[in-house]
Amino acid sequence: MLWNIDLTKIPELLSFNPADPLIFSTSLFLILFSIFLLFYNFFGKNKSVRIGMLIFFSLFFYYKSAGYYAGILVLLAGVNFLSGKWIAGTEKLSFKRFYLFLTVIINIGILGYFKYTNFIIDILNGISGSEISPLNIFLPIGISFYTFKSLSYVFDIYLESMESTNSFRDFCLYVFFFPNILAGPIDRASAFLPQIDNEPYLSKEDLGKAVLLIMVGLIKKVVIADYIGINFVDRVFDFPLRFTGLENLAAVYAYALQIYCDFSGYTDMAIGIALLLGFKLMDNFNYPFKATSIADFWRRWHISLSKWLLDYLFKPIQMSARSLRIFGNVTALLVTFLICGIWHGAGWNYILWGAFHGAMMSFSLFIQAPRTKFFTFLKIRNTKFLKFFQVFFTFHLVAFSFMIFKTRDFQSVIDMLGQIVNFFHGEIFFQFVERMPVIVTLMLLGYLFHFLPNKVETFAQRTVTALPLVGKAILLALVIWLAAQFKSADIQPFIYFQF
Amino acid sequence: MISPELKKVILKQLNLDDFDFNDNTIAPDVPGWDSLNHINIILAVEENFKVKFKSMELLRLKKVNDLQELLDSKLGK
Repeated sequence: MLWNIDLTKIPELLSFNPADPLIFSTSLFLILFSIFLLFYNFFGKNKSVRIGMLIFFSLFFYYKSAGYYAGILVLLAGVNFLSGKWIAGTEKLSFKRFYLFLTVIINIGILGYFKYTNFIIDILNGISGSEISPLNIFLPIGISFYTFKSLSYVFDIYLESMESTNSFRDFCLYVFFFPNILAGPIDRASAFLPQIDNEPYLSKEDLGKAVLLIMVGLIKKVVIADYIGINFVDRVFDFPLRFTGLENLAAVYAYALQIYCDFSGYTDMAIGIALLLGFKLMDNFNYPFKATSIADFWRRWHISLSKWLLDYLFKPIQMSARSLRIFGNVTALLVTFLICGIWHGAGWNYILWGAFHGAMMSFSLFIQAPRTKFFTFLKIRNTKFLKFFQVFFTFHLVAFSFMIFKTRDFQSVIDMLGQIVNFFHGEIFFQFVERMPVIVTLMLLGYLFHFLPNKVETFAQRTVTALPLVGKAILLALVIWLAAQFKSADIQPFIYFQF
Repeated sequence: MISPELKKVILKQLNLDDFDFNDNTIAPDVPGWDSLNHINIILAVEENFKVKFKSMELLRLKKVNDLQELLDSKLGK
């Protein structure tokens, strides 16, 4: 394969192609990144050179997927950097508020324009019967992630959680940083900026962890998520009435696993790649299906987003509405989860999904006290039995909420639920396993690894770390080979890219 | 250091018998002091000491000690 490279194709490969973003699981990215890593380690002794290289590669990385819209990144970096400086530089609260207000308008305005204009036009058409045609607006990939990332810096300065930085170069690196630009984690400047000054020393533990993360991420994304998505989930979700209730239920379970492996797999690779560059990003997932409640779920799923919403949306609303007591909490919850839904996309399914979670959280608040009393009365409080039941129940709530998340029309949801309730046909179970052995195996393995005790993860990490460099390289190559076997011809852009 | 009165209000809200607060204690250190209980504690402090905090002041609190200082400033200490 290597000897057949057509050199004339290279400029085409490296130029802007929105249909072919530089996803971590592509061979093009692997090659480019390996070359970059070599240069980075070779020439990176000087801090300015190192940061310059990272900024350059990050901008190129984003240009590849979004063309000249990479300019938005530069604009955001400039606006938020200045805003941080001005807010920190004045003592007067009214001035701080004014700068903050302007900054939020600009950032959300940019995000809103690219992402929600046509959705708003749709709504207007629906309300007033007008026939405004949708505008042809290109959605720059990852915009939801990096606008939130940049805003967090300004919010933190306003809340006096961090000092502003005087280095525009450092701030640019924070905004452009390619590992987390397309799909998070939505890192905080207060955690990222100090790391820029660190000596680029990669400890053995960090190298082991990075290699393990990249391997696990690849397997999750390509071997599990992409495969069960194309070969099973999409088929059932597209035509639920052609399948039995058992298959529909299996598809619901499969989709929950798919979206988890897709997103967390990508995140794992992002964190691993950042680690190889000498940066520690925040965790984004903590075994979400082990959650014992919806509240617990949001402490384990897309952690960087839920922390962002908690610190900058929920807490301020909750604080302002505190005199309403529990209703203040409920208001804050509903607004926050509505926005969480909207953030995911310009569609009613996302808003409904967010509202559903908000409603569940609020309901939980109201029944918290009587529920605790009830469990104490049954003498099952703090027991393994109760925990199992809570995990089982929460998982099903989450899995069914993802049904709403995925579908474009609600008839499908009704159809799927209808099949599950009315045409379950559990007797075809063994036929199903026989017909789709790979899917069933992948699902079993996926869920099994999810629920394994933490000791297994620690063991795996220690084992990979202990391997000599050659051993690590061979293992990584094996995993890449495995992923290539499962890869379909089409690029499977990862689900969260559309956000 | 937080005052005995403030400590009493916090312990009562969280249903705790005792907790060893030091100058660096933050809310997550204290059992049960999550974002939902946080509001109950703030409201209890406002009611108990007959003060009114501004939301922005409350959002800037980092440590339990900061709450004491904010409270003191409202009480004119």
